[in-house]
Parts: sequence; structure tokens; C-alpha cells
Amino acid sequence: MTLYHTAQNIEASALGQTIRESTWLFPAIESTHLLALALLGGSILIVSLSILGWGLKTPAAELYKSAHRYTNAAVIALLITGVLLGISEPVKLYGREAFWVKMISLAIALMVTYFVFNPLVRRGASGASVRGVTVLTIAAWLMVAMAGRWIGFS
Amino acid sequence: MLEGLVTKLADTPWSIALHESLYMYAITESTHVLSIMLFVGSIAMVDLRLLGISYTRVPVSQMLSRILPWTIAGFAMLVITGSMLFLAIPIRTYHSIWFRLKCLMILIAAVNIAVFTFKVERDKAAWDLGPVPKKSKICAAISLSAWACVIVFGRLIAYNWFDCDSITSPTMAELTGCPLDPG
Repeated sequence: MTLYHTAQNIEASALGQTIRESTWLFPAIESTHLLALALLGGSILIVSLSILGWGLKTPAAELYKSAHRYTNAAVIALLITGVLLGISEPVKLYGREAFWVKMISLAIALMVTYFVFNPLVRRGASGASVRGVTVLTIAAWLMVAMAGRWIGFS
Repeated sequence: MLEGLVTKLADTPWSIALHESLYMYAITESTHVLSIMLFVGSIAMVDLRLLGISYTRVPVSQMLSRILPWTIAGFAMLVITGSMLFLAIPIRTYHSIWFRLKCLMILIAAVNIAVFTFKVERDKAAWDLGPVPKKSKICAAISLSAWACVIVFGRLIAYNWFDCDSITSPTMAELTGCPLDPG
């Protein structure tokens, strides 16, 4: 079965149909997706600004103790709402370049955040390379958000 | 009067150019979303501190002086991109119930900020690192709720459920400023 067939099957699923046919469901999920995006932005920013020397003077590792809970909650909420949005129109998404750009940048953003950025922050690492990783992390998430919004236009 | 202004706005070459451009509208809208991450994200972190549930080892004064400048930068970007989005579709947006509710929420959030700045935070030296007072928690809760509503209502402007051509009740006609179809 090809990926396109899988998309067609998901589109025909009961959940996909329910979301697609409801007036309020798609906008409600979409709004939750946006709220979670704001939370993600804030929780990553507060740690990043401290690393870059442009924010709080509190060590980033200390801020991380509070911030990482919000980052995790936001990522989980974004993934759940994102999957629900995707289930309702997978055939359309399959054909949209912006969707694939978003998925690739999402994979990069998740890996950079959880395998590189977070471990470095937790260890209290500093220096030019940590600042570089910080900028990369922010850039990756901005790319995800930008490409995500672009799905609606392409 | 506002109606006339909005109609004039819609006829300007700026409005038409934005409306008809292939990429400018999409770039503006995407930048608006990225600015939400900066603005609502940073104000949410400040509010979580003012609620006393997170970043409790960071002095309130430092949170306000080092994070709020970023919040203001995000707000400036939102006002610029938001004005451009309004300019692109002035008449429909002006009549949108969601746009009107969004403006109301921004107004509530603004009054809340004024109360916080001129009353609540005045004696913050006394609770810079100690337990936050109730008044701070109330302001933070209002702020979080109001900005969350702004995001949701803003997103809903895109939907046409209550556009002028589908309004049938006098109450909704009043609220949206739409003419009620005489037929």
C-alpha cells in the first residue's frame, strides 16, 4: 500500500470524517494548536534568552527546571492536536509541499531540542557552541511554525 | 463614521495590493503567528511567575525588567502585522464578531496591565522573592485568560459563520454592525 493510499484510508476513517464534518471541531483543535504554540515559544525563549545573555540573569539550568515542563506539555498538546488536524485532511496534506517542509523541520526541531539543547542546558554548559545550538533550536521551531501556517496558503 | 473610514480604507491602493498579492498576505499572516510565540509566550512566562507557580527563584523585578522588553517587541510586531492584515480585508474584518470580541479582550488585557503597572507592582520590593500576594495572582490569571481568548478569537476571524450575508437576527446585526436583510 502506498503512502497516498494510507492517506486516503485515514481520510475515510470515522475520526477523520467526524472532524471534517463538524463545524466547530476543526477550529477548536486549531485554536488549541495555536495556544500550545505560544506556550512552546515562551518556554523555549525564556531559557534561550538567558543563554544568549539577553534575558534573565538566573542560570539557564535553573530556569529549565520550570520551563521544561511547559515545553513538554506544549509539545504533547501540539502533537495530539496536530495529528487530529492531519487526520481530517490527509489527502490534501499529502499534496502540499509546505506540509512536508513542516514535517522535516519538525523532526529536526524535536531532535535538536531533546537530544542536544535540553541535555546541554541541564548540564549548565556554556560557550559559543551552546549559543549556536540555542539559535539553531529557535530557528528550527520558527521554521516549523512558519511552514505550518503556510499549509493553509499553498 | 468608522464604517465610512473602513470603506475608504478598502479603496486605497495599499489595501488592494495587500489583498491581491500572492505572497505578501501569507508572509504577513505567518509573521503574525511567529510574533504570537514571542508575545503571548513571554507574557505567559511572566504571568506564571506572578501566579507564584513557576520561576519562583527569579525575582519578580528581574522578570519584569528583563523579559517584558521582549514582550513589548512582540507586541509591536503584532500591531504592525495585525494592522496590515486588517488593511488587506478592512470591511469584512470590521464587521466580524470575532474581531470585535478580540478587540474587547485586548482592551480588558490593557486595563489589566494598567492596574498592574500603577497599583499592583508598586510594592513589589516587598514580595520580590517571597510569596506573591493575591492581587498579583488575580492580575496574572486575567492576563493569561484574556490573551488566550485573543488568540482563539483571532483564529476564528477566518471562519465565515457570522459574516454579514448569513446574519438573520437583529441582535447579531446590532453586534456586528451588519445591515439586516429587509427581505
